Amino acid sequence: MKCLIRLKVNGETYEIAVEPRKTLLDVIRNEIGLTGTKKGCNMGECGACTVLLDGKAVCSCLVLGVEADRREVITIEGLGNGVHPDPLQEAFVKHGAIQCGFCTPGMIMTARKLLDENPSPSEEEVREAICGNLCRCTGYVKIVEAVLDVARSEKGGRDAGLLSHR
Amino acid sequence: MKNFEYLEPRTVAEAVFLLTEYGDEAKVLAGGTDLIVQMKLKKQTPKYLVNIKKISDLDYIRYDNKFLRIGALTTFSALAQSTMIQENFSILMDSVRAVGPLQIRNRGTIAGNLCHASPSADTAPSLLALDARVKTVSLGEERMIPIKEFFKGPFATCLKAGELLTEILVPSIPSNTGGTYLWLPKKTAVDETLVGVATLVTLDVNGVCDDVKIGLGSVAPTPIRAEKAEKLLHKKKIEDGLLSEVGEMAVDEAAPRSRAEYRAKMVSVLVVRALKESVRKVVSHMRN
Repeated sequence: MKCLIRLKVNGETYEIAVEPRKTLLDVIRNEIGLTGTKKGCNMGECGACTVLLDGKAVCSCLVLGVEADRREVITIEGLGNGVHPDPLQEAFVKHGAIQCGFCTPGMIMTARKLLDENPSPSEEEVREAICGNLCRCTGYVKIVEAVLDVARSEKGGRDAGLLSHR
Repeated sequence: MKNFEYLEPRTVAEAVFLLTEYGDEAKVLAGGTDLIVQMKLKKQTPKYLVNIKKISDLDYIRYDNKFLRIGALTTFSALAQSTMIQENFSILMDSVRAVGPLQIRNRGTIAGNLCHASPSADTAPSLLALDARVKTVSLGEERMIPIKEFFKGPFATCLKAGELLTEILVPSIPSNTGGTYLWLPKKTAVDETLVGVATLVTLDVNGVCDDVKIGLGSVAPTPIRAEKAEKLLHKKKIEDGLLSEVGEMAVDEAAPRSRAEYRAKMVSVLVVRALKESVRKVVSHMRN
């Protein structure tokens, strides 16, 4: 039996009938059609599916869609786009912090959350924050540099995409 | 994932009613960071999934100087942010910090960590050393279960069908006591704990060991106390020679299956290290 849920994704409200066994990740990708959020391991290990649920970074593959009823979700599409990228998105491009790109949306969501809470993190704090986001291409050095660069920049991530939705 | 009927009780009584009604066919969903993985692997195939997150009065951390009380829905993130736990139960905070990345801590609950009953659950050794107990509610009955009796085997607890764990109680730590949790991870995607050791040491004014508790994780079918090792230290002055004996005794009490040789060796290393660190904490506290 399907359950009717209502959730807000990137500021837009959706009413969807979902099977309880469908994860929030599947709802976001297959029902809502936002495919920026990636399905990697689907077991809560890789962090590629990271979204913000009521402002908290979670693996959307470990949340049931029905659990997101009346909750607010921010995905990578909610941070910025090709025309108005989030400073983190720009920095990842600038630093070459992307190779295959599969981990990037989750990585940026986690980094965004970090900078919103701690605008000037140490390198160690950045590494600790992204420890649940696995990248098998870059060895993390450029990713850490990109995040620190945004933190150092005048903007500090403060006027970035996330807050414009609040 | 197999299909199931999804239920959202609003009160503990309602949850217990549903769990009693559906018995072994029901599973409790809290944070879901273990259960949903188990369901995807079809290791768990509940017909009824009882999500307890809509119960409003199960998410709390309270301390009345006698007991620390942690509600069943308290997440690792909430625990990690608690300065009260940091100040009064730093051994537990060590364990909390050993758990997962942020994404897991934001969802996972300490009660769920216990109910999943993985032999490597990081909070178990500290809670064993702290002599914690868990409160459960079933139809018309409440139980207070010492954590030492809670685990029955790998991924098995003494919880009965229809019984809900609602609270974890930790007695306050006596003065002149220091504790620490040390662990070594497997180097995998999730860095599961390979060996975890929690020690809690109380010294008298002469530096003699008044009380000691040693909790071990991931080296036996369940998390265990190393009680024979504890006895070696009772009313003794803690010295290097004695410490290595204690470490060896803890190895005897452990029963690791895979990577047994390495795990056994690391039990002795970590027990000695954790005891030294615990003593150091008491002594520095006494000086202040």
